[in-house]
Amino acid sequence: MTDDELDPVIHAPARLRLMVTLATLPEGDTLSFTRLQDLIGLTPGNLITHLRKLDDAGYVQMDKSGSGVNAVTAVSLTRDGRVALDRYSATLRRLLDGVPE
Amino acid sequence: MEEDARRDEQMITDGDQEMDIQQAARIIEQARAKARHELRTMHPAIYLAWAVVYLIGYGAIWLSVHGQHPYHAPPAGAILGVFLLAAVALAVTAAVVGRTTSGVGGASEGRRRITYLVLAIGYLGVLVLEGALGQAGASQRVLGIYGAAAPILLIGLVFAASAAAGMDWTAFCLGAWLIAAAALSGFAGPAGVWGVLALAVGAGFAALSAIAMRRIRS
Repeated sequence: MTDDELDPVIHAPARLRLMVTLATLPEGDTLSFTRLQDLIGLTPGNLITHLRKLDDAGYVQMDKSGSGVNAVTAVSLTRDGRVALDRYSATLRRLLDGVPE
Repeated sequence: MEEDARRDEQMITDGDQEMDIQQAARIIEQARAKARHELRTMHPAIYLAWAVVYLIGYGAIWLSVHGQHPYHAPPAGAILGVFLLAAVALAVTAAVVGRTTSGVGGASEGRRRITYLVLAIGYLGVLVLEGALGQAGASQRVLGIYGAAAPILLIGLVFAASAAAGMDWTAFCLGAWLIAAAALSGFAGPAGVWGVLALAVGAGFAALSAIAMRRIRS
């Protein structure tokens, strides 16, 4: 991927929303799966699919605790995820600056 | 719910869509604004509730003592009024923080718990020290100044320290303002201290409430 290419893992509406939402949390904080679902407005199935793609890329971390009905999945942005989102935003700004109004 | 998600995962498409760069920029802006709005703990309602506690509560105590010559102590009813107003403000704080931090874990959660614990222990310490000062023969005038200003000094210190940990300069400024108000208000005397603090602390929290409201609207 060159400097002028947008990261394809992030460059999808749902995953971009997920990354930006998680990035608003201070480093070291997590968001539960259900709260994330409320904020993003995705079905559970769609949310887990996008989270797995981001997880595979090393951009998010998912930690499950408890079991059965008490199971809670905590999602957080990794350091690599923050760096990738910063790089994506910088590339996007460069591309927007190059586009006439 | 997460188990359901896994069950029907196979049936759900990836959901990737074509997206141009203008749309991406809009999504970033909207998602960031929404997350900040939904997850913020700096809520105008909290600061407004505490502004009311000090403007009305401390203001009522000032009205009840400013005619005392010589000064003896605020009436129990006025003190009880402050505690009732503080209980309402605490309930507002707990409700708002509970809603905005629902599902948020990690370092911030730990910092919040420690902050509440420091406030509770600190306030207990303020009360115990007031008792010790009384037992050591401190006059009602000295106890009056201490009773009004010491809790504000404590709140200011906790505010400034927790704001420093989160690099929140607005909250730090309020903390510094509260410390300055607590320290200087004593010069107004045992009756005047309540009036000065009612205005200074009430205005400080009201200003922070206005700043928080402006941030939401922008």
